[in-house]
Amino acid sequence: MMTGQTAGVPFSEDKLATCISCGFCLPACPTYAMTGDEKSSPRGRINLMRAIQRGDIDIDSAASRDQSSECLGCRACEPVCPAGVEYGHLLEEWRDNSWKGRRTPAAAALARRGAEFGSAIRWLGRRRGAARTRRPSGTDPRHSLMLGCAERVLFPQVSRAAAHVEPNLDVDDNQGCCGALHAHNGDARRGAELARELGDRLPEVIVTTSGGCSAHLAAILGRDRVLEFSEYLLRRPTETDDLADTRRRLNRLEVDGRPARIGLQDSCHARNALGIIEPPRDLIRAIGEFVEVPGAAGCCGAAGTYSLMRPRESKDILARRVEAVVAAEVDILAVLNPGCYRQMASGLKRAKSRIQVLHVAELAELALSEPQQTTL
Amino acid sequence: MIGRNRSIGRDLRRLLGREAVLDDVATIEAVSRDATPDFSGRPDVVVKPRDTTDVVSVVDYARRRGIPIVPRGAGSNLCAGTVPIRGGIVMSTARMRSIREVAPGEMLAVVEPGVTTAELDESAAAHGLMFAPDPSSRSVATVGGNVATCAGGLRGLKYGNTRHHILGLEVVIGTGEVIRTGGRLAKDVAGYDLTRLMVGSEGTLGVITEVTAALVPKPASSGYGVAYFDDLSAAGAAVDGIITSGIVPATLEFLDSVCISVVEEYAQLGLDTDAGALLLFGDDGHPDAVADTVERMRYLCSASPGAISAVVAPDDRTASALLHARRCSLPALARHGSHTVLEDVSVPRQLIPEAVRRIRAIGHRHDVLIGVFGHAGDGNLHPTVVIDGADSRARERCRLALDEIFRVALDLGGSITGEHGVGAAKLGYLEEQLGSAQVELMRRVKAAFDPCGVMNPGKVGS
Repeated sequence: MMTGQTAGVPFSEDKLATCISCGFCLPACPTYAMTGDEKSSPRGRINLMRAIQRGDIDIDSAASRDQSSECLGCRACEPVCPAGVEYGHLLEEWRDNSWKGRRTPAAAALARRGAEFGSAIRWLGRRRGAARTRRPSGTDPRHSLMLGCAERVLFPQVSRAAAHVEPNLDVDDNQGCCGALHAHNGDARRGAELARELGDRLPEVIVTTSGGCSAHLAAILGRDRVLEFSEYLLRRPTETDDLADTRRRLNRLEVDGRPARIGLQDSCHARNALGIIEPPRDLIRAIGEFVEVPGAAGCCGAAGTYSLMRPRESKDILARRVEAVVAAEVDILAVLNPGCYRQMASGLKRAKSRIQVLHVAELAELALSEPQQTTL
Repeated sequence: MIGRNRSIGRDLRRLLGREAVLDDVATIEAVSRDATPDFSGRPDVVVKPRDTTDVVSVVDYARRRGIPIVPRGAGSNLCAGTVPIRGGIVMSTARMRSIREVAPGEMLAVVEPGVTTAELDESAAAHGLMFAPDPSSRSVATVGGNVATCAGGLRGLKYGNTRHHILGLEVVIGTGEVIRTGGRLAKDVAGYDLTRLMVGSEGTLGVITEVTAALVPKPASSGYGVAYFDDLSAAGAAVDGIITSGIVPATLEFLDSVCISVVEEYAQLGLDTDAGALLLFGDDGHPDAVADTVERMRYLCSASPGAISAVVAPDDRTASALLHARRCSLPALARHGSHTVLEDVSVPRQLIPEAVRRIRAIGHRHDVLIGVFGHAGDGNLHPTVVIDGADSRARERCRLALDEIFRVALDLGGSITGEHGVGAAKLGYLEEQLGSAQVELMRRVKAAFDPCGVMNPGKVGS
């Protein structure tokens, strides 16, 4: 992960130099939309990084710490960047070099430490009813389900649904953390180490139900080893894999005698880092009436530990998303990531909305079961 | 310096309130540059006025104290026009973002300067209208900034540029007075055309606080095609053939052979990398008329000497791939080095092949990669120099090459800038193009608007 970095300075010089300061990232950035201050934009932050790199500003200064934590890390700036700046990488370097030891923000330290309690997470996951170990006759290549740390504890029904929908999926409930929480919270080295350990433990293709984990695993292990769950469900059937054509097995969901209106909240990392845009939409189209919620690509403000670290900003960003989802009059809001799941569900609940939040794996499970009429 | 900074911040907070004034280090760094390489300057403070009254307060304060004011929209300009090279106050229009009115009957819109050009166009589209200027930065650039720089775009031949689509302005000039130029009238010749003077004045005369923009009917459809030629001279002859046949198309864009190969390498669009030039042609309007015009352009290209092939895009997907080829020329080039200078000169349209030939020779002589793309219909070229930014000798060679490119433009009767502006980056070449009498007159014009010399000093008129 740390390739290209020059000794003595925090940032990879070549990656910092890529930015041509065109400002195309400004309209894509949720924090810039919130404040209208250029320092809260990717270009503004890169200018700050450059001042840090030159030694004009201390990386431990209040300005640096404020901006390294105000950024959501959603990477919405990357797909719109004409110069191909690897902003997510620069952000990891920033946090790596400043969130050290006692200077680590409490929420980041908590996340990093929490993810190290593998045995507790495994125990909790089993207690809460997350998917259990199994090794079906399988497919070629083999596909293993990744069980995320937060998801096992908070939303055990997601992995259960995923395993139920695809009986060919291997499950190993003794797996550890993928390291995304470390990488996003100032410890890229440990993050990469954990990803490689998980890559060794789960052979061949890893199927994930979390956008953040997908992007991190793909960055360390290679894109070809990772499939987001909707990508996996919609993949082309192979000769040895007769169950793959999931679309045929899905029933259409109805609400009050009409097709269910289903929106999507994109996962930032799935969309911006891996370019996963259509698969979840196609999956929803197979199940109900897909509704493109305006701004679906914009971060919901969960952003890993962000909602703990910057609660005020997180709430402001969430409020805009909740407003858009409510205005779209959907029955169900599908999500791809446990962080977005928790954030959107709590936001909609606070807004006294009856819109139900479901992970795409749960949505697929619902569409598999008869009868088609569902009550929400 | 620090002392001045503190007192300006304190004074402005007293005038406009705390939330309108920023002088923390992250803010100062963030606005110390725009999209121009090699130019930076730290302001003392950033102020974000809410309305014209706030702008007047700041201008009055600054002129009394002799503090520079640099108006800033999105900071996406390419001539260091928004770099605060002499410090002072950066006046951001980020809080003046209201679309006051779209009047479909009068075919106009009234907006505050911080609205983006894309937002203005979208609100016009809701009434079946459009704002014709379409600079590539339209999603981020502001209307105020586009007016201040007289931004161009890809449809210049048919629709003109920003100056042709502005009916009226409200401006706080350097004396602190508020003037309203032009208005909502289609015909109005009362007095000097100060609207046109303000368009392209780059913040050196005043701060634009409201824009009345002319809108045109949104075309019902568009169509595109692509032609390949042995070299740019052959492409130029085809462009001549199209224009002399009476067609004024919305789109006539070219890529030279360097751009064709880097774009193909970057985006894999299936371009003909053996060709010496690519011409993208297209038009908009009634579907039948578009189909007819695009087919005629295809025929004229294919019948032109030196043509390799010419096809009409059969569907939207193919058409958007073609447009993508043009739009991604800059990013594709930028990936070939850490330092990219996107330049902007314009020459009489028929001299494009000669200009590109000379620019290529300059690239060889100075051993720098130069790709040229641009607007074949209106003579506006974007020679783009790509080097390794860490190599100081390459930077010097780049500087020399650019200097020669400007001389080529002037030698061919062209301009040092077609649509990006003069700013701090090209001020040194202005007199060579315009002559001393005109430059001196511009100084006197500036002095009339801005007697204290506080409006964006070090740029045009200084």
